Parts: sequence; structure tokens; C-alpha cells
Amino acid sequence: MERRSFLKVMAAGATIVAVNPSLIRGTLYADDGRLYSAYEKAQIVDGAGNPIKASSLEKEVTYIFNYPYASTPSMLINLPEPTQQEVALKSEAGEEYVWKSGVGKERTIVAYSAICAHQLTHPTPNDSFIKYVPKSTPTMAYSKSGIIVCSSHLSAYDASAGAKVLGGAASQPLAAVVLEVAADDTIWAVGVLGSDKFQDYFKAFKPEFKEFFGGPAQAKQLVSLSAKTVKLTEYSKEIIQY
Amino acid sequence: MKKAVTALVLSSLLAGSSLCAADKASSEATERVHRTMLMKDMRSMLDAMEQIQRGGLYSSSEDMKSGVKKLQGTLKTLESDEIKFILPKDQVYAYKFAQKTASMLRLYSDDMVTSIEAGRMDDALEDYTQLLKQCTSCHIRIRNW
Repeated sequence: MERRSFLKVMAAGATIVAVNPSLIRGTLYADDGRLYSAYEKAQIVDGAGNPIKASSLEKEVTYIFNYPYASTPSMLINLPEPTQQEVALKSEAGEEYVWKSGVGKERTIVAYSAICAHQLTHPTPNDSFIKYVPKSTPTMAYSKSGIIVCSSHLSAYDASAGAKVLGGAASQPLAAVVLEVAADDTIWAVGVLGSDKFQDYFKAFKPEFKEFFGGPAQAKQLVSLSAKTVKLTEYSKEIIQY
Repeated sequence: MKKAVTALVLSSLLAGSSLCAADKASSEATERVHRTMLMKDMRSMLDAMEQIQRGGLYSSSEDMKSGVKKLQGTLKTLESDEIKFILPKDQVYAYKFAQKTASMLRLYSDDMVTSIEAGRMDDALEDYTQLLKQCTSCHIRIRNW
């Protein structure tokens, strides 16, 4: 590239950044490799392998799909109202990042890691202590419902604001699964935003992986092409919510 | 006649109140028994954890396995519905959490024996760490630590 062209590109770049400073953040976080990780794009499908349409998701129901690894559960929720936008969040290490918003026509669809940021409580085929609590259901964890609650130690997360911590012992938001809704209304998971707890989870639950996934190696396999998604009530035999 | 009726009413009331008092005393006694059971189990769990740790530090797999056996001996009460009777009154609702903790203690302690027998001591000590985490996690919740 000639010196003059190079300067032109730099000037154009600086102008775009000046007009929209959030681009700086976007670039930095994508490059950071810790707060945003791109994984293989996976389509959200039902138990039979059929694509789930965004418009078909029931409101305020917790759906579970494993992403980005075969054993890491995530929650998919269609909230009753549009989410907040451009929410500034902070990891427990103090790193700041921005959660854009929910997706879908009404910006109501969100997905988060279902591994609690406090002590890694997560849904298993046997039971689940973590779930979205619908607006009409009371919880001990917070004064209002319509939030995500981990009933192990009563951590409460704001489902409409990037899983920001509302109360309890958790010291950072749940990691968010970044979703895209395609023109044909299908839903895709493309990455994870925020400080995830995957490595701690892999270390802590080795014995459980033997029981549910065949072993630690199988548990760490990356999800490819599609992610089977079922209601939490189908995923776990027992759901405990306080 | 009036005197007789009054005496009858009074004696019924006295009998009723002494029955209530007896009920209360009996329920308090039962609660004391359950609290004692819990304390005994907790002391045994502490002994078991100390034995596993000692085994790990002195390279004695036999001590570790013996500690696991002692620990698992205390889990039956925690895993069963009896847990409802031994938890502090304000935490009885959280008995499922205590049962889950007990099942995780069993999972990690079983895995510790498997790891010891396979000569994977790093894994066995990681299991010990996870056992300790389960203990403190439950104490944070149930004892409001």
C-alpha cells in the first residue's frame, strides 16, 4: 500500500471510531480473546433435530442447550418484554464489557451460560437449581421475579440486562451466549461474551462427566453445526427453585 | 349442679393444657435428639475429612480410603428425607440443597477411591478439594456463614 493510501485508510478509520466510539470497544473485546470468544456457529434445533424458529419460543420458559462444549449447559429464554440495550458489565477480575441486547423481532430472546458464576451450580439430567423465574412466580432471591435465580446460594441475575448480578453471592454476570436470528427466523449461537467459568467447571465436575457424557474428553468436545434444545422441565428430572 | 359443671370444665381445661405441655415437651425432646444426630454426623464428617487430609499429606492411601468410608457412613441421613428433621428450622425448606450436597460428597468420594486405586494421586487430591468445597458451600447456605 502506498503511503498516501495508507494515510487515507487510517483517517477514514479514525473518523468512523470518532462517530461511533462503541466500535473501539467491539474491536478490543473481540481481540481480547477472553471476554468474547467466537465458537463454531451452531443452529438451535429441537430434540428431533428440526430448527427452532424464534417466533415459536414460548415466553418465560427456560430452554436448555449445550454450547459451546458438549457438556456446558446454556439457557435460552424468550422474555416477556424487550431487553435493555448496550448494558455495561464487569467481570470479577474488573474487566469491562458491553452486552448489546436480546435478539429477535422484539429483542426478547436471550441466552446465557447456565453455570452459576458463584459456585458453578448447573442443570444436570438429575436436577437443576438454576432457572429463569417467571414474573408471576415469587423467589426468595430477590424482591422481583422475571429474573434468573440460582437456588443453591440464592444468586439473582437480570435476564434482561446481560445477566447482571442483582443479588446473592455471585461476583460477576453469567457469561452470555451470543445469538443471531436469521432471515428465516432460525436461531444460531455464535460465541460467548463475558467471563465464562468453563475451565473451572471442567476441573470440578470430572466425576459427573463420566456419568452423563462418557468422560472428561467427551465433555470437552466443541458443539458443531447444531445444538439440541429442550425445555428445562424435560432436561432435568427435578427442578428446585426457592 | 353449677359447681359440678365448673369443676368438669376446669378439669378438662387442665387436662388439655397438660396434654399440650406434654406434646410440646415431646416435640422438643425429638428436636434435641435430631440436633444431636446432626452434630454427631458433622463431627464424624470432620474426623473423616481430617483423616483423608492426613492420608494425603503422609502418602497413606489406606488412611484416605478409610476416611472415605467414614465419610460415606455419615451420608445416609443427609441423603434421606430424615434431613428435614435435623436441619435448623429456618432452613428446612432447603433440604433438597442439603441432599444434593450429600450426593456430590458421595460422587467425589467414590471418585477419590477410584483415583487412589488407579494411582492417580493428583486426581484424588483434587477430589479432596471438591469435597471440602461441598462442605463449605453447604455451611455457607445452611448456617448462613
